[in-house]
Amino acid sequence: MPHEEIMQKIGEIFCEVFDDDSLVITEQTSAKDIEDWDSLMNINLIAAMEDTFGIRFALKEVSDMQCVGDAADIIERKYAGT
Amino acid sequence: MNTYDIEDLYTGQTEQFETEISSEMFDAFRAFTCDTNPLHCDEDYAKNRGFKGRVAYGMLTASFLSTLAGVFLPGERSIIQSVDVRFPRPVYEGDILLVRGTVTEIHESVRQITVAVEIKNQRDESVLKGKMKVGVRNG
Repeated sequence: MPHEEIMQKIGEIFCEVFDDDSLVITEQTSAKDIEDWDSLMNINLIAAMEDTFGIRFALKEVSDMQCVGDAADIIERKYAGT
Repeated sequence: MNTYDIEDLYTGQTEQFETEISSEMFDAFRAFTCDTNPLHCDEDYAKNRGFKGRVAYGMLTASFLSTLAGVFLPGERSIIQSVDVRFPRPVYEGDILLVRGTVTEIHESVRQITVAVEIKNQRDESVLKGKMKVGVRNG
């Protein structure tokens, strides 16, 4: 799946999880950019991404994520099988 | 009390228990919530509005989801993160409820399970349906 398509789907996930269609998500977006992005919302985001993309993250992958682009990179690598 | 850890759980795993709705439950719920709505407190009021008797508080019925998560699925390590339910039918005093949860998703990376929940009365009618997301605490 192309990186741009992954980012688009991640953007849709954020809008659904935060129930806010006005959110604009970029590669650099992180928890400090969205007021409601707390630890519970982070769990819901990860779970929603796993469901949407049909993948499972490793614990270390989740703990190493610093921004949305990191998640997109991991998803892209999983789709590429690397 | 069950003590399931995240790796002990599997999709399709089901836990259930029964409970009978008593007059004392109505009274206790009213006492601590201060919900004095007559639909729950006044037998004649409820009957005059087409119900068989006092209608149990929806949140009283839903409160057994706490037991489902905290005692059964996953049990001790549970922390409820969200609950999304609807109430298709009323519950009355004396109803015997079967509370059932089935694991539908497991997210090990964030230690969260999704549990499809349903509560049925003694006539096998659904009185609560929905889903619950439950964290499985690490230790």
